[in-house]
Amino acid sequence: MSDLDDFKATYFDECSELLTELEEQFAAIEAGERDSDRLNAVFRAIHSIKGGAGAFGFSALVGFAHAYETLLDYVRDGRVELTDEVVSLCIRANDIVADHVNAAQSGEALASDYGIEEKTRFDALARGEIEDELGGGIVEEFDIDFTPVMVDLDGAASGEALVDDVFEAAPMAPAEGQWEIRFTPHRALYARANDPLLLFRELAALGEMRVVPRLGQVPPLADFDPFAVYCSWEITLSAPELSEAAIREVFEFVDGDCDILIAQAGSTPLAAFDKPEMAAEADPPETDEPDLSSLLALTEDEMAETAGPLASVESFAPEPPAAPVGEQDSFEEPPGLSFAALAEEIRPSAPPPPAKPSVPPAARGLPAATEAEDGHRSVGVQSIRVDLDKVDRVVNMVGELVITQSMLTQQMDETLRARYTELVRGLEVLAQTTRGLQDSVMAIRAQPVKSVFSRMPRLVRELAAKTGKKIKLETIGENTEIDKTVIEQLSDPLTHMIRNSADHGIEGPQSRRGAGKPETGTIRLSAEQAGGNILIIVEDDGGGIDRERVLKLARDKGIVAPDITPTDEQIDQLIFAPGFSTADAVSDISGRGVGMDVVLSNIKKIGGSVHVRSWTGKGTRMTLRLPLTLAVLDVMLVKVGDSPYVVPLSSIVETMQCSRANFERVPSGGRVLQVRGEYVQVIDLGQRFEMAMANAPGDQFVVLCETEGSQKVALVVDDIIGQQQVVIKSLEENFERVEGIAGGTILGDGNVALIVDVQGLRTTHIHQNAA
Amino acid sequence: MTLRVLTVDDSRTILAMLHHTLSNAGFEVLQAEDGKQGLDMLKAQPVDVVITDINMPVMDGIEFIKNVRATGQHNSLPILILTTETSQDKRDQGKAAGGTGWIVKPFDPEKLISVIHRVVH
Repeated sequence: MSDLDDFKATYFDECSELLTELEEQFAAIEAGERDSDRLNAVFRAIHSIKGGAGAFGFSALVGFAHAYETLLDYVRDGRVELTDEVVSLCIRANDIVADHVNAAQSGEALASDYGIEEKTRFDALARGEIEDELGGGIVEEFDIDFTPVMVDLDGAASGEALVDDVFEAAPMAPAEGQWEIRFTPHRALYARANDPLLLFRELAALGEMRVVPRLGQVPPLADFDPFAVYCSWEITLSAPELSEAAIREVFEFVDGDCDILIAQAGSTPLAAFDKPEMAAEADPPETDEPDLSSLLALTEDEMAETAGPLASVESFAPEPPAAPVGEQDSFEEPPGLSFAALAEEIRPSAPPPPAKPSVPPAARGLPAATEAEDGHRSVGVQSIRVDLDKVDRVVNMVGELVITQSMLTQQMDETLRARYTELVRGLEVLAQTTRGLQDSVMAIRAQPVKSVFSRMPRLVRELAAKTGKKIKLETIGENTEIDKTVIEQLSDPLTHMIRNSADHGIEGPQSRRGAGKPETGTIRLSAEQAGGNILIIVEDDGGGIDRERVLKLARDKGIVAPDITPTDEQIDQLIFAPGFSTADAVSDISGRGVGMDVVLSNIKKIGGSVHVRSWTGKGTRMTLRLPLTLAVLDVMLVKVGDSPYVVPLSSIVETMQCSRANFERVPSGGRVLQVRGEYVQVIDLGQRFEMAMANAPGDQFVVLCETEGSQKVALVVDDIIGQQQVVIKSLEENFERVEGIAGGTILGDGNVALIVDVQGLRTTHIHQNAA
Repeated sequence: MTLRVLTVDDSRTILAMLHHTLSNAGFEVLQAEDGKQGLDMLKAQPVDVVITDINMPVMDGIEFIKNVRATGQHNSLPILILTTETSQDKRDQGKAAGGTGWIVKPFDPEKLISVIHRVVH
C-alpha cells in the first residue's frame, strides 16, 4: 500500500525532527533552563511520536513512549519534580525512543525487554506520585496499557476504539424488542454545537423511529433564550437487533449535556426513570405520536404558543465556567427584540428544534463578509514540502543553464563584442540572472548542520559510558547551512571523528588529573562558513597524536619509506593514509586511525578535504573543509597537453609564468620551486597524467595552490585559459574513481574537462615519493 | 455540497492521514499546524467542521476551541477533538471549552467519517 508507505515516510521524517528537538530541549534543560515551554515541547514531541506510532502499529514504541509521556505529563504538571536524576533518565529515554524509531523504520525488532528498566522507572515515578497523592494507597485506576489500532486505509472497519473505549462496560441489551429513549438536553447542548436533529437523524438510521416532544418547559416569549434548549423528547425506536451500546454511542458526544434514559420496551416502565424535571412537566401537548417531520413542522407554533413554567435553574447541569456562549447575559438588547431579530435570521436555515442559532457560516450577515475581505492574511512563514527529486531536477537544469550561459560568453569573440553591444549587455544580464537563480536554487537545498550535530551528544554519552571517561560535548554554529546532500554524507565521517576523539584523544580521568587538566574532557564540534566552503571542526583537549608510534607504524606498514623523515604535520596527516588503520592494533595504542581513511574517502566523495593538527598533551583538531554545494564550482580552466583541466578556484593562490629552469631537484627526486623564499613542491600535471607535451619544454605556467595545512603546491600546466563556473559531474557515478581527479565537467564547447583534486594529488605525490 | 473540514494538528503524519481519509471521502480539507493558524484560517473562510488536536505549540487545542467559540460567530460550528484515550481530563477540558465531540487516536477512517456525519448537517 503505497499510501501507507508515504505516511510512514512522513512519520519517520517527522520523528527525526522531533528527536532533534528533544536533544536540543534537553541540552537546555540539562543546562538548567527548566521552564514550562521546554517541558511542553518535550511532551508534545513524545506525544506526536507516540500518536504516529499508534497509527502504524509500532506497539513497542507506543508502549515505551506512553510510559515516558505519562511521566512527562506529571513533570509538566509539577507533580513529579524534575530532578537531575529524572533529567538523565529522560535523556536516556530519548535515546531509547530513537532506537525504537530506528527499529520500526528498519523493520528490525529490538529485544522485547529493551528499555524495560527505564520504563519501569517511569512507571515507578509516576505511580509513586499517585500513591503519594492517595496517601500510599493502592492505585487501581492507573492504567498504562495503550493498545494501538492499525489504521486501515482501505476503509474496512476494524477498529472499534470509539465505541469500546467509552462503553466497554455498557451491558448488551436482549436482541429483540423496542427501545424507549427519553432525551432531555441541558442548556449547554447548543454551546458545543451539538444538535438534537442530528442525533435523531442518526437514530432514524438505526431503525424505525417515532418521536414525541415535551414542550412544557418552553418559557414565555419575553423570557425566551434562543441559545437554550427547552424541549425534551421521548423516542421509540424499533430495532430489535440493536444493542444499548449502539444507542448510547449516538449520544456519546452529548453525554453530560443531557439526561438520557434508555430502556427496552416492556422490561422497565419508563416512568421509573422519571427525573424531577420530567415529573414537573405538563402533559404532552400531543396525544398522537408525531414522527420527526411533523415534529419539526410543529415546533415553531408550539414555541410561540406554549407558555409553560420556567424550568428551575438547578435542574440544569452547571455551566462550565469557560463556556463562551449560550448564556443569557450575552444579549444586550431587550429579550423580545432579540428574539424577533434572531427568529428572522434563523427561519430560512433552521428547521430543527426551537431557536437553534444554526446559520451556515456563509449565510452569516455582515460580520462574515467583512471577515472574508481581510481574510487572506498570511499565516506566519509559509512553507511547502517538496520531493528532493524535484529540487534536484531544478538544480540540474540550472546547472545546464550555467553551462549554456558560459558557452555563450565564450563564443563571443572581440569582433562580435564590438559590433553587438546590446547583445553583450544582454549576455551580462543573463549571466547575473543565472548566478542569482543558481544561488536561490542552492539555498533551497541548504539545511542547517543541526540535523547531524544533534545526533552527536548521544554518541558522546555512549562513548563516555563505554570508555569510563568523562566527556562533555560542545557544539557551535549548528545553524550553519550546507547543501542537503553534503549533510547526508556528513554523518558517518563525523561519527568516526568524534569516536576517535573520545576513544583515543580524551584521556581517562586519572591521567587527565595527573596532567593537570580537568577530569572532564571536552570535544568541541563547530561549523562555520569560510568563503565558498564550510569548515567543520572537531577539536578535543586530549593527549594529542603520539607521533612516534604513528610514524613507527607507518614505517612498519611500508607507508613511509625508512629514509624519509616526514614533518610533524605530515605524520599527523598519515592517520588518513589508506591501509594505515586497517589493523585493530592501532586502537590499542594511543595513535588515531581507526576508520580515518574511511573518513577521508567519504569526505573526498563530497568534494571536501580533511586536515588534522595535533598538539602533544593539549589536544587534536580535525578540520573538514566542505563545499557549500556539490553542484557548481568556480574554477580556473587550464590546458595540459591538448586537454582541458579545471582547478577549483578556492584552492588557487596565484598563477605565474616560469621556465622549467626555475625548478630545482631535491635528493628524493622530486622538484621544488622557489617562490619568494619559500620552497614549493612541484607537480607536473602533464607528467602526472601522462599527457604528451604540446609545447616545447620552454616557458610554462604554474598554478600555485594551497592545500590543507597551508602547504602549497605548484601545478605545472601548459596554458591558462580563464576562470569560469562549472557544473560538477561525478566520475565515480559515470566511470570510476581516479586518483588525483575530483570529478568531471562539461565545458561550454561540449568538451569534457577533468577537475583536478589538488589535495589528493599532493597526498599521492608524497606517497609516491616516499615509497 | 462539498463539506469543508479544517484539520488542526502539529503532527504532519496525522495531518497527512487525515487529509488522505477526508479527501477520499469527498471532503475539502484545510490544514493548520496549530491553534493560531487554525483561527486565522477560520477567519479567512467558512468551514463546516473542525478537527483539532489538543497538544500543539503556539496555541493548544483547548485555547483554540475557546477562541473559536468566543467570537460568537461559530456557535454552531462542530469542533471535534482528536485525542488519545488516556487524556480523559483533556477531553473534559475540551468539552468545557465548547468542543462538540471527540475522535480517539489512532483513528479508524470509517469511524472518522461517521463521526463527522454525526455532527454536521
